[in-house]
Amino acid sequence: MSKVYESFVRDVSRLLNGREIVMCLRDLTPGRKKYKGINVRAVVSQPPRQGEDMLWVRSVCGVKFPDPFSVRIVENMPDVFKGAPYTDYFDAMERAER
Amino acid sequence: MTAPNDLRAFLKAIEQSGDLVTVNGQVDWDEELAGLGRLSCERQGPAFMFNNVKDYGGWRVTTNPIATWRRMAVALGLPADTSVRRLYEIYAEREQKTIPPVVVKDAPCKEVIIEGDKVDLFDLPTPMVHEGDGGRYLGTWDIVVSKDHDSDWVNWGMYRFMVHNEKYLTGYPRPTSHLGKMLLDGYVPKGKPMPIAIVIGADVNSHFAAAATFRLNGDEAELAGGLAGRPVELIKCHSNDLMVPANAEIVIEAEVLPDGIAQEGPYGEYPGYRSGEMGDALCCRVTAITHRKDPILTLDTTGFMDSSATTTSISGAIAIKRRLEKHGVPVVDVYVPPEGGVHLAIVSVRRGGAAVAKQVVEVLTQRRALISKVIVVDDDCDVFNIPAVLHAFATKCHPERGTHIHTYTGRANALTPAYSQEERAKRLGASVAFDVTWPPEWPVGTTPIRATLDQMYSPAMQEQVLRRWQAMGLK
Repeated sequence: MSKVYESFVRDVSRLLNGREIVMCLRDLTPGRKKYKGINVRAVVSQPPRQGEDMLWVRSVCGVKFPDPFSVRIVENMPDVFKGAPYTDYFDAMERAER
Repeated sequence: MTAPNDLRAFLKAIEQSGDLVTVNGQVDWDEELAGLGRLSCERQGPAFMFNNVKDYGGWRVTTNPIATWRRMAVALGLPADTSVRRLYEIYAEREQKTIPPVVVKDAPCKEVIIEGDKVDLFDLPTPMVHEGDGGRYLGTWDIVVSKDHDSDWVNWGMYRFMVHNEKYLTGYPRPTSHLGKMLLDGYVPKGKPMPIAIVIGADVNSHFAAAATFRLNGDEAELAGGLAGRPVELIKCHSNDLMVPANAEIVIEAEVLPDGIAQEGPYGEYPGYRSGEMGDALCCRVTAITHRKDPILTLDTTGFMDSSATTTSISGAIAIKRRLEKHGVPVVDVYVPPEGGVHLAIVSVRRGGAAVAKQVVEVLTQRRALISKVIVVDDDCDVFNIPAVLHAFATKCHPERGTHIHTYTGRANALTPAYSQEERAKRLGASVAFDVTWPPEWPVGTTPIRATLDQMYSPAMQEQVLRRWQAMGLK
């Protein structure tokens, strides 16, 4: 059964460039581990592709985009990205893509 | 009355004063229990004790410990109906009589010890506080203990921490916070992890002290002792050398990574908004969790009129008053109204004018700038009387000459909703003083007189009117 995730973005166009991107997904599976974060390399699509996991996207203020996306996880990434405290997390994800 | 010596004694005391509601029916950790707490903040309602949390048998959650002046009074060991002015006076007195902590060897917070591979943050009933937050926030009403790398300075602060996964938390103590300063000045340049302890459910005065605006290098454990009127008992952590309140319900021991980050936020914060301040936080790996056998997790449903509104109202106002006095401002009273989301201060002065208003705003933004609006009033205006302050502001503040704006870079409050995302990223901001005082150069004979009983009637007539008023049975 497909899963449901959400992710927070500063720039939604980054998700839809057709390439593999590095991102953090929050697992919305009900239960004690709901909202667990996983860092992944993935491909995002909109409209959602059949057979892929569903993805809801939110802005940096937590506003939910009205239409769902789908996500295909290519590989799991380490729990944390390289970067000193208070450095930009979105930049760190982009660096991890290279 | 004496100040309650731990969370459970406090809960019993507010139950007796009619300020706690116990909920035995099941409640969902996913938004529902926090929603109830949120509504209670907005309606100045009770604290809640949730005894039956979905998915988490054996755990209890309590909300918004001192989000009202009544519960704040009980925390300080005072009658629940103590006036706000009196609470301010008590805090100012006790802040000057700090009491050093004592160290103990055994404590209930060590009844259960989880470490290493067995650590799983999802074993705690961490609530999802608001729909659309970046994750579940474990640190909302906490004490985060850290120690300076190069000195004996130990800091207690109240900072937000979010569950990233089983073993990692992300948090947002601001870079300008005392913890941020310790981390950036001491540990990061040396590439060393910084040990911290996130304490949940200690006695309320310890949390109050952690949330308080207190001097750099000050010892919040001593402040907590002063507020409670007895020494705080401390015990050493299990996996590091930090000392934590022994009466805590839960202690999360962790180390902040000097070279790793993960998603943190967004989060609905104390100013009353979720403003998009995500992307520049810190990340820590949990090394151990210790707790009591029947633990209570505390939650402050952050937002408009949360517990930080009252704690910062008092401690922030007293700190502002002391700072203004130190700089020679003729300050009489300071009030930080909880409704202002820690962005507004009202300052009364013996002698006002443009120079004083400018000085006030400059002094209050020297190191970091949390307050962005200051209303400076004459000392015949009671700063605690908001209708009187509003009347004075609306009528006495000259729209052009009475507005004094001070801009700054690098120390603005990133949580201020009025700032754009760009201003927030660069810590660009401004504070304004509204001069609501009569210009001192105006002659007395041509300075307007307020049309109130106390100013436009003779003392004899005032007395007669009050006598007649009381005789009619009016209050």
